[in-house]
Amino acid sequence: MRLPDSVTGSFLVVLGAAAAYGGYILPPVPGQPVGPNVFPLVIGSGLALCGLAIVFGIGHSFEEEEELIPLEDGQVAAAPPPQGKFEGKLYGLRALLPPALLLFYVVAADRLGFIITAALMVYVTSTALGAKWKLALPLAALSPFAIHLIFGKLLRVPLPAGLLPTPW
Amino acid sequence: MLKTLIEAFALISTWEVIIAMFAASVYGLVIGSLPGLSATMATALLVPVTFYLSPIAAIATIVAASSMAIFSGDIPGALLRIPGTPASAAYADEAYAMTRKGQAELALGAGVWFSAVGGIAGVLSLMILAPPLAEIALSFSTFEYFWLALLGLMCATLVARSSPVKAIAGMFLGLLVSCIGIENPGGVPRFTFGLTDLFGGIEPIPALVGVFAVAQVMRAMLTPEPPPLPRRKFGSIMAGQWKLTKKYHWQMTRGNIVGIIIGVLPGAGADMAAWVSYAMSKRFSKEPEKFGTGHVEGLVEAGASNNASIASGWVPSLLFGIPGDTIAAIAIGVLYMKGLNPGPTLFTEKASSMYAIYLMFIIANIMMIPLGIAMIRIAAYILLAPRSAIMPVIMLCCAVGSFAIGNNMFGVVTVAAFGIIGYVMEANGYPVAAMVLGIVMGTMVEQAFVTSLIKSDGSILPFFERPVAAILAAMAIGALLWPVMVWVWRKMKPVQTAAATSR
Repeated sequence: MRLPDSVTGSFLVVLGAAAAYGGYILPPVPGQPVGPNVFPLVIGSGLALCGLAIVFGIGHSFEEEEELIPLEDGQVAAAPPPQGKFEGKLYGLRALLPPALLLFYVVAADRLGFIITAALMVYVTSTALGAKWKLALPLAALSPFAIHLIFGKLLRVPLPAGLLPTPW
Repeated sequence: MLKTLIEAFALISTWEVIIAMFAASVYGLVIGSLPGLSATMATALLVPVTFYLSPIAAIATIVAASSMAIFSGDIPGALLRIPGTPASAAYADEAYAMTRKGQAELALGAGVWFSAVGGIAGVLSLMILAPPLAEIALSFSTFEYFWLALLGLMCATLVARSSPVKAIAGMFLGLLVSCIGIENPGGVPRFTFGLTDLFGGIEPIPALVGVFAVAQVMRAMLTPEPPPLPRRKFGSIMAGQWKLTKKYHWQMTRGNIVGIIIGVLPGAGADMAAWVSYAMSKRFSKEPEKFGTGHVEGLVEAGASNNASIASGWVPSLLFGIPGDTIAAIAIGVLYMKGLNPGPTLFTEKASSMYAIYLMFIIANIMMIPLGIAMIRIAAYILLAPRSAIMPVIMLCCAVGSFAIGNNMFGVVTVAAFGIIGYVMEANGYPVAAMVLGIVMGTMVEQAFVTSLIKSDGSILPFFERPVAAILAAMAIGALLWPVMVWVWRKMKPVQTAAATSR
């Protein structure tokens, strides 16, 4: 997800300008010179200026390259096995899996219930990180109950029961 | 004084606090020792649990978990050359070189011992610095608070190991996030886009969990699994530590002091303290050529430094609500929820709670020695746990924990969104810590700014009229201009050298 500075900078310019405009059109407090509009105006303008500076590469010389620890001779770099045709560009999209699963939780938890949704999340995450089914399946079966015991039972968080209520 | 101290003892000697502290210590040690799971993440995931504890027990868990996690990051650093937390990255190479020389015990023992000493030095600084600063802070008006907050935000950008422009942009992003909601001077819905969920604003805690925990799971998706730890038998871990203390007492003290100063600076935390102290140790050492070959001196200084910064990071947090580092940023959120709103009056009205915090820090750092030794001995087994078993559970904790904060699903959406934001920012060199600082401090900055503007009636002069305000203003503006000056200077230098060579 390493984007060129010109892209992130331009995005910040647009976001900053939008924030400044959004602040500007907010209704002022009657009889007072400053209200809720001042702060977004300042922040938005600042953000847009920073974005411009980034587009033009100001301050780039300060950036330190990330110090990678070189591997030992004995250690072979365990490169992640790219799965079949999902090589290259699509491989990077795997990073979006965790937030996607969280959104899945938001959508599905009320209908399916905590235990089933959580088990699916655990199984998918675990498999995506390279676990065999021998590890992923027991983990998916047990960890939702453990979490439910801590949060649902001990801390009394109202977790949705859904299709499969817990025995307690 | 004595009465408050006794009250403080009574506060912490309940079963709830003792169990919470012990459990949080073990939790902190385990999370800190697992590569990729940082001390900040450990603390962020603890927050939902703290909801259900009494105020003192809640703070106890944060104090214990953060102190332990910073130490236990040294363990995989020394044994695998992979730092468990970013705070141990500065000297992981050095510690690993010692392990290869057969001095793993000495390296890990130095980690435990000097971490504990550093932690206690940090508490002492908190005890000594906070009350007099609170005296001064009592006379602060909104002008001083405005400049102080601005100075805090600028500090975070100055110390970032990245482009200052990007750090400032990150800070503005954080401030922009804090603009969302109806909690503003006019009480009008701002940037809510008609969504009722956004009326209450973005809660800092789910945002922090997203930025630190979900983003980490996202990174794990694309990075290879660290190699397993080779089994090894350890000799005595504490042997020789007293000798090291006597030999390197000056380095240790310097590490403590540097750690304390960096901890107090807003936004700069344990990882910064370790880098600076390690570099300093090498610079001032009598035998700098030994650095990098398994020399304990740098370990002593940096280990003493990163733990000292943990406690001193609480100084600005407790006094002004300005977090000294990302862990303190989370702690501030918990303090607000527990009715211990940060501010100078905390030291007069809730003095016994403050003493309880000091005591808990001291106890946590003493407990670190036996628990740390035990942890080193069983680390080989804990590090056997594959990442594919830990990360899914972290994901579940993120989902349930963020739901628990407000008992609504919007928290989970926030966590997911900030996971993506944090991941993209980190990947493109925008420091996440600066944004976190912006989110945590946003409401306070705006309040101080707008109230000051209303009081000054449009004039800019009152911002500089009061003496303390003028000093703080000068410092804040200096901090703002510093990167510009360095930039100009760097631009000038090549021109000069080019001119010199052409002659």
